[in-house]
Amino acid sequence: MNVSMTINGEAVSREVEARTLLVHFIREDLDLTGTKIGCDTSQCGACTIHVNGKIAKACTLLAAQADGADITTIEGLAENGEHHPMQTAFWENHGLQCGYCTPGMIMASAAFVRDNPGASEDDIRHYLEGNICRCTGYHNIVKAVKQVADAAAGGA
Amino acid sequence: MSAEAGSVIGESIKRIDARGKVTGETRYPGDIDIEGQLWMRIKFSERAHARVVAVDVAAAEALPGVVRVFTSLDVPVNEYGLVIKDQPVLCGPGGDKAGTDVVRCYMDMVAVAVAETDTIAKQAIALIQVHYEDLPAVFDAEEAMLASAPQLHPDCADNQVARYRIRRGDMAAGWRAADVVVEGMYETTWQEHAYLQPEAGLGYIDEANRVTVVVAGQWTHEDQEQIYHALDLPPGQVRVIYPAIGGAFGGREDMSVQIVLALAAWKLRRPVKIQWNREESIRYHHKRHPIKVRAKWGATGEGLLTAMECEVIGDAGAYNYTSNKVLGNAHLTVSGAYEVENIHIDTYAVYTNNIPSGAFRGFGAPQALLAAEGQMNRLAAALNMDPLEIRLKNSIREGSIGSVGTPFPPGVSMPQVFAACGAESWWRQGEAGWQLQAPVAPSDSSKRRGRGLAGGFKNVGFSFGFPEHCWAGIELQGSAEIERVILYHAGADVGQGAHTVLMQMAADALGVPFERVQLVASDTATSGSSGSASASRLSFMSGNAIRGAAELALRKWQDEERPAKADFMYHPPETTPFDPQTGYAEPNFAYGYVAEAVEVEVDIETGQVQLLEVVCANDVGKVINRQQLEGQIEGAIVQAQGYALMEYLVSRDGRILNPYLSTYLIPTSLDVPPRVKSVVLEYPDPIGPWGARGMAEMPFLPLAPAIAAAIYAATGVWIDSQPFTAQKVVAALRAAGIGEV
Repeated sequence: MNVSMTINGEAVSREVEARTLLVHFIREDLDLTGTKIGCDTSQCGACTIHVNGKIAKACTLLAAQADGADITTIEGLAENGEHHPMQTAFWENHGLQCGYCTPGMIMASAAFVRDNPGASEDDIRHYLEGNICRCTGYHNIVKAVKQVADAAAGGA
Repeated sequence: MSAEAGSVIGESIKRIDARGKVTGETRYPGDIDIEGQLWMRIKFSERAHARVVAVDVAAAEALPGVVRVFTSLDVPVNEYGLVIKDQPVLCGPGGDKAGTDVVRCYMDMVAVAVAETDTIAKQAIALIQVHYEDLPAVFDAEEAMLASAPQLHPDCADNQVARYRIRRGDMAAGWRAADVVVEGMYETTWQEHAYLQPEAGLGYIDEANRVTVVVAGQWTHEDQEQIYHALDLPPGQVRVIYPAIGGAFGGREDMSVQIVLALAAWKLRRPVKIQWNREESIRYHHKRHPIKVRAKWGATGEGLLTAMECEVIGDAGAYNYTSNKVLGNAHLTVSGAYEVENIHIDTYAVYTNNIPSGAFRGFGAPQALLAAEGQMNRLAAALNMDPLEIRLKNSIREGSIGSVGTPFPPGVSMPQVFAACGAESWWRQGEAGWQLQAPVAPSDSSKRRGRGLAGGFKNVGFSFGFPEHCWAGIELQGSAEIERVILYHAGADVGQGAHTVLMQMAADALGVPFERVQLVASDTATSGSSGSASASRLSFMSGNAIRGAAELALRKWQDEERPAKADFMYHPPETTPFDPQTGYAEPNFAYGYVAEAVEVEVDIETGQVQLLEVVCANDVGKVINRQQLEGQIEGAIVQAQGYALMEYLVSRDGRILNPYLSTYLIPTSLDVPPRVKSVVLEYPDPIGPWGARGMAEMPFLPLAPAIAAAIYAATGVWIDSQPFTAQKVVAALRAAGIGEV
């Protein structure tokens, strides 16, 4: 079947098998490998992307379900060559080690802070429960997200 | 050349791979494709223990799109293993080595199918018919030691793949001198590494006709050796490259997809890719060892240890992997960080038909310290002594003789580490010595709070006579001044940040700004062997290798050589294995020391244990990169918290029942303690580069026993079986008459 969508501002259209998962479509058909697969059971959140501005785990959707959608992956988060503040914050606060969870963490956090500027540390810890990291112990991730949340609140 | 003003040693230089990781550009093995690549799937064993009588591949090979199915008959030298080559690459008939036709666990490989697509390869696997003749199996290490147990390996009659002893002093005198004797039995189970990136890889023939494997591992040159041995190729014919690695923690030390990828690429002369899913990752790579410890310790009324007796039994699983080394380290650490003259220890690593056990952050020490520190806490309780005070009385110190009859290497900081941990947490020093301040009781009557402490040590670098080494190469470019430095090194950056640290050390050793250093890393074609990213060794070993190479390159630079190139192989002081009768040894050349204090809240209705706060004192010798170092401490503590409280791998008759992250639960952002305090101490190691010790495993080591001590402080109940799940805790509480029945 044919699916068409906008990915990172670009219109794409491809023939896919009906059972193709969105995460496989993104990684294999479009070669956008920043979106990772970590668990296959929707626990880890490494495949988190934005679908019509809302976060989604791309392993839980069929490509067909995203037909007509506007999708952003980690590759499309930077604007006009400038890193998204969340990317900068993860970098500066050492919110990553092996980096495999990082794209999903950043995508989830970016949407959260956009909708919840000024979020508390406790809010952030609750929100990030759906994204697993095995390396950092989460402290620097929370610190990075808090920094962006504080800046977003200050600028509001 | 020392860490002076302007030096980058100790600076929180941002990791060099951060940009690619936050933009999604970084490629891990599963993200790399080659035009025209084929796909591989593996047929794993369907039995815990059976002879493979025949492997029928006809139907699979007849499937359109299938290129080839490989079986045992295709493997030139059908064996591998990091220490003992006791595992067949592909189990099946026709080999000239005894026992290669036997599957010994569910993670054995029987065949691999290579096809035009992953889907076809998967279908092909289902069509492979394996005919088994079942053999009696054993799933308990102590049962496997009995004469009646089935023998798993042709050359290991008693299933004991390793056996160690320590016999020191006069045990009878030691027990006579004891005013109090405590006994305990401590049990641990498997732990899954759960690195976020499941195994994947790509095999192909490179431009120099080398069979090349792109994979995530921990030691490029070891992977290379395992491959060329099995394929019967000269070493130079095999190349291993690590791209970005999505975590390791010891779980990538042994082979997963390496050999079979190389086999298929070499025979087909086409690129071949494989990608495991999470279930395959959990089912088919090794785990942390289940270890059982029986311990009996005696002390005087003043709290001085007089005698120690321990029996340590580790479940190696179906193959050795690094079990003989892991149990060696458990043997060494089960007496804790204490001096005692009379000591008697027996340790066994035992083959069973379970999944193999192997390396995992801490390498046997977390299990051993659960016992050692549990014993120390019991002694403190029996003598009504403060747990920190009794530790300081017995702690090893500079010049102490270890359980193996030789002094610890110079630079022992254990007493200082214990004291710092106490002082930075809840202990106050008064006239009666150190005293723990009790926590404020929670207002909810169903909750109890307690504080506990534990500590320990672990080797840095390989032990027991291993020919430890590390290579580094340096090229200096420029004319009047050094404009560019190229550092060649094979060390794996598994996520810990090693590559950034290597470059910091090179910059400082050469006296150039960090920005001038470039790194060519993790490729057997460009580097000598730098050893494994394990044993907390990479900073220590690499730093010394880089300093050596830098000195030689600078000498050439001064002699006007342009570019000035040099390489250096660092060899630390030699170590020795245990004497088989007495255990006498010089097991290690360096150690790291750690202690942790924790506060927990126990819900006596449910048995749920909440970790509220952790204070970790870790002697790292010298900080190279503070931000990364603290990241290692925080990450290790959370991994250890999972180990202590949550992570429970269930295996029945050798088969893992919860091979998913939905059923094998690891800590999320909501589980972790909101307060973690890193107390970073810098007592230099005399032979460490810039004084640095290794540090990445240490914060894992004492957390479980510290939590057990805190649970006891809160409830008066000992929990000696890891993980301390709510179910176990509530049962122990009820047995002690605490909480509602």
